Amino acid sequence: MENALTVENLSKSYQRRLRQPGLLGAVKGLFASRFEEVQAVKGLSFSIGRGEKVGLIGENGAGKSTTLKMLTGIIVPTGGKLEVLGHIPWKERRQLALNIGVVFGQRPQLLWDIPVEETFKLLKTMYRIPEDVYQAVYGEALHRLGLEPLLNTPVRHLSLGQRMRCDLAASLLHAPAVVFLDEPTIGLDLSVKEQVRGFITDIQAKFGITLLITTHDLKDITETCDRLLLLDKGKLLFDGSIRAFEQKYASDRRIVAETHKPVEASAAQALSQAVGKSGGKVIEAEGHRVVVEYHEEGAAPALIHLILQQLQVVDINLEKTDIETIVTRIYRSDTAKA
Amino acid sequence: MRPLARPLNFSESLGGYFAYLNRALKANFAYKASTLLGLFTAALSYAVTVLVWSHVYTQKGSSLLMSRQEMFAYLALAFCLNYALTINIDQRVGQRIRLGLIATDLLKPLDFQLSQATQALSDCLFNSFVGMGILAVVFYFLGGQILPKSPQAFGLFVVSLFLAFLVQYSIVFLFIQGAFYTYSGYGIFASRIALHQTFSGLQAPLTLYPPLLLTVGRWLPFQHVIFTPVFIYMGRVEGAEALRLLGEQALWGFGLYAAGYFAMRKALGQLEIQGG
Repeated sequence: MENALTVENLSKSYQRRLRQPGLLGAVKGLFASRFEEVQAVKGLSFSIGRGEKVGLIGENGAGKSTTLKMLTGIIVPTGGKLEVLGHIPWKERRQLALNIGVVFGQRPQLLWDIPVEETFKLLKTMYRIPEDVYQAVYGEALHRLGLEPLLNTPVRHLSLGQRMRCDLAASLLHAPAVVFLDEPTIGLDLSVKEQVRGFITDIQAKFGITLLITTHDLKDITETCDRLLLLDKGKLLFDGSIRAFEQKYASDRRIVAETHKPVEASAAQALSQAVGKSGGKVIEAEGHRVVVEYHEEGAAPALIHLILQQLQVVDINLEKTDIETIVTRIYRSDTAKA
Repeated sequence: MRPLARPLNFSESLGGYFAYLNRALKANFAYKASTLLGLFTAALSYAVTVLVWSHVYTQKGSSLLMSRQEMFAYLALAFCLNYALTINIDQRVGQRIRLGLIATDLLKPLDFQLSQATQALSDCLFNSFVGMGILAVVFYFLGGQILPKSPQAFGLFVVSLFLAFLVQYSIVFLFIQGAFYTYSGYGIFASRIALHQTFSGLQAPLTLYPPLLLTVGRWLPFQHVIFTPVFIYMGRVEGAEALRLLGEQALWGFGLYAAGYFAMRKALGQLEIQGG
């Protein structure tokens, strides 16, 4: 697969001014400035093929947005190499701009003072978008994002959700080859988030767009991406499919059974011994509830069979650790990071 | 998969710049109250200047280098020109740099300096539209005093006006670069306005300045925004001297534009946009 973007040993550091507290500190700051060096991105390397859908996640300050800003050419890296569609972004920003679309969730690109449709028309002229492409994306945006009633409204009168939908449509109007979305669903309600994800998925499929999304809402990733990059303090911690991510960090699965009668200690003991031989472990047996944890994929049928044999079960559920729990654990766990 | 769009050449980009100009003009019309307030404040400032000079002429008689009528015509023309050439992009861009919104401007397939020039041009076209009304009022009071000295003077003035825009825009753009370092446009904006008001010839023709200030003014570009075009319009400079001033204006205009281009390249190299 041809690469849409390649990042090699990318680094970015900057100087941060240190301010002393209080009025006296502010006055002192007039005469003597102190700085500290912040390493936002450290030796990052990855590549993304044309048409791939990749999610970039990490805690606040992990370097996600900085990476995106370097990939779009807005800021200049302090080290390493990067190439997007054959361009060095910060050197060839204007040429690259024709083939990329960018949404910064917290920085709207719509023109504040004029109606939404005027912005769309301006972008059509600015990017010289072919009529068929424009109509295809515009039509899809009106339909999927419900933009029709907003077209004649000046942007400054739009709500956050309305603005974000319009902003997303604006960034995709030219059906760019690569789209960077930086927190595209930030601050949106659940139904608008669904609309946004649906639109992204449809347009990506229609034009074979390469997608790189950074977000804190992992549903954005699971619903629109196939691959995940996990950043931590400017370094890449994981790069692989979402399934591989779950396998690596969420090997624990659970069977939760509700029993007809309260589980007696002897029954729990017997069950513990039985499931132990099939790779399971009773981690809870209290009242009407029994929880068996296992790690091996495919072990569930045998374990369920054992539970049903030994207990009078009224309900049974399989639980898998969701991606959000996994990521939260990783953020909290220093050992996992190491 | 859609084939990649090829880079646009300059003529293909022109549509984008015109679209930008068009939208900037529409945006200007969106703020009627702000426009009227700005106009009122400018008129107030002009009225004060006229009253001060009126007092000076009453005290000193006609011992100054200009007659009272000439001075009032100069001030009226300077006021109109200053109003027409008022460019506010430094405040806007300064604000966008501070908030990080500059990121979205840099993602457009247009040259930033040129697209800001279209924004500045829209400011000037809009102000000129409003300024026509002011000129009509001034004409009512001063009549023939504010007409150009001759058709030649008017022809030279048109060239000078274009160059005055170039100088003014290039100064503003160069000052904007400071905001990339300070992350606040206010101090930059205030210092440019102060220099403009002092050395452009807005309050008085530069020829009336004391020698030291006159020398400083002659070495700075601000005189070419107001003083030079108004003096050419009034026929106070003609022939070779007028052409020399136009040459100086052009040098400043293109030189500052080029300086702005290189300053921008340097400023972008150290741009930081914090936060998501």
